[in-house]
Amino acid sequence: MRIAKFKEWLSLPGGFGIFSGILMLGIMIILGILIPNFGKYKSDAFVGDPFRPPSFQHPFGLDQLGRDVMTRTFSSVGIDLGVAFLGVSIPLIIGTIIGILLGLAKNKYVLSLVGSIIDGINAFPLLIIAVAMLTFLGSGLKSVIIILAITNWARYARISRTRAVVVSKQNYIEAARTLGFSKRRIVLKHIAPNVSSETVAYALSDFILVIVVVSGLSFLGLAAKPPMAEWGSMIADGRAYLAQSWWLVIFPGLALCWSAVSLSFIVEGISRRDRGM
Amino acid sequence: MLRTVFGRLGRAVSVGFWVMVISFAVMRIIPGDPASARLGGVDAAAIEQLRKQLNLDGSIFHQFKTYILDLLHGSFGVSLQTGRSVKEIIASTLPLTVYLIIFSTIFAIILSIPIGTAIAWSGRAPIVYAFRGITAVILATPNFFIAMVGILIFTVRVHWSPVFGYEPQFPQNLKYLWLPVVVNTLIMTSVISRVLFSSVVETKQEEFVETGIIRGVGRRKFFWFYILKPSLAPTVVLLSYMMGTMLGATVILETIFTLPGIGREMVNAVLTSDYPVVQGILLIFGVITVFLSFIGDVIAYALDRRVKI
Repeated sequence: MRIAKFKEWLSLPGGFGIFSGILMLGIMIILGILIPNFGKYKSDAFVGDPFRPPSFQHPFGLDQLGRDVMTRTFSSVGIDLGVAFLGVSIPLIIGTIIGILLGLAKNKYVLSLVGSIIDGINAFPLLIIAVAMLTFLGSGLKSVIIILAITNWARYARISRTRAVVVSKQNYIEAARTLGFSKRRIVLKHIAPNVSSETVAYALSDFILVIVVVSGLSFLGLAAKPPMAEWGSMIADGRAYLAQSWWLVIFPGLALCWSAVSLSFIVEGISRRDRGM
Repeated sequence: MLRTVFGRLGRAVSVGFWVMVISFAVMRIIPGDPASARLGGVDAAAIEQLRKQLNLDGSIFHQFKTYILDLLHGSFGVSLQTGRSVKEIIASTLPLTVYLIIFSTIFAIILSIPIGTAIAWSGRAPIVYAFRGITAVILATPNFFIAMVGILIFTVRVHWSPVFGYEPQFPQNLKYLWLPVVVNTLIMTSVISRVLFSSVVETKQEEFVETGIIRGVGRRKFFWFYILKPSLAPTVVLLSYMMGTMLGATVILETIFTLPGIGREMVNAVLTSDYPVVQGILLIFGVITVFLSFIGDVIAYALDRRVKI
């Protein structure tokens, strides 16, 4: 019975995409928990000769300092996905709240002022403004999270504001008002859930972008610092030895791709389900 | 028509002003003093001197006034590292980046139009699934990894592209530029053909397409005017946005391929805490993006008056 239901769900539009995306992401997260914690090696331990190619003992080979690449690749899962998760969820919350407030605000000056600031922030490519702010804030993963919170909320605020304006004109809001519900209750119980469904959907696709930005900043040497294992900085480290030791770059890169692709399958599946095709 | 375009121009100018405010604010919203951070906080007189040079003395309004006036006089400040004027640095590094983007864009357009329309027109499920899957993978892959795989294949294995370096003369420089252009083109083609694909799928359902078929419009005319033209507006808007994102991505791409463009200049400036250069380049990036999105919106409006800009 359960299986039949699941099969039905899977056959709906986008079902296969969502399922395979969640499966892929789940595998990555489980390996990211298991291998660094219960594996044979530590992520920063020197376990053999440098540049040992992939073998049965070290499936992903050893890096320039003789550390196990597989352990390092999977201990990055928590860092990359964790930083990206914070870098998405904090702006999501801030942006959604500001957007709702703007959508309900009546003061013209406040509206145009905040609206312009939002447009101004959104005018910069995310990577560029992040790089520029890192100059002043100092590099590091903590700075990256702060910068994403400062800059990325504007994209969410724009979406949330447009949605809040639409929602607040709907009949059910009118109905709630006629029923004499308090303003607070209307905003919290009726407007916020309808607005946040939209911003959360955007957050999922933003997650991919932020993973790419975080690893890109690490690649430039501005986020994760050695000896920390992180995909972007592992790829940057391996770059110098690309000609002899391809495994230093390819495995962290594939892990990065795998995670981003799994998310993009989920996003695509959800959007297909919404459109019903 | 004119009124809409001018209205959009007004918005571009006002966003441009805020871009200026943000480039100004970036150096100031962070706790602590950039001048003493750079000098290490030893020599009080030197710090004061640097504060003056960075326009960090006086009230915030005074600082902002000086900043705007300097910009209006065309002065972006002076590099702390080399003493060259920031304007000069930008003028010498920007062209390479712009060529990189323009060529990738042209190639991407040439490739996307047949790919996007043909796949949408055929509408066969296996092809559509393969197309969606492949482009989704390309788009989810960071450009530096694509570039690395490119280097691994074309530099390490077959030696078609030099390892690093750059020669500015015309025929020699192509040797260094073709691989970055290919990487950029690959990414842009995926985005543009995807949007064109869904846009053509939508156009296919419009009534005028059926009318065109019934009226027996010639094949070429049918393709250009009935299918492509109505589908282009969303693609153009996306294209202008994409060019801005690509501009941001050159920061990484130019670092990998050691090309002396504006992106690499910015990374170098960040690593050496060269504040005026970072600020100047940030402003230029913002202004270019605002300009691109203005142009994109206007072209989209010219193609399809139903578009709201």
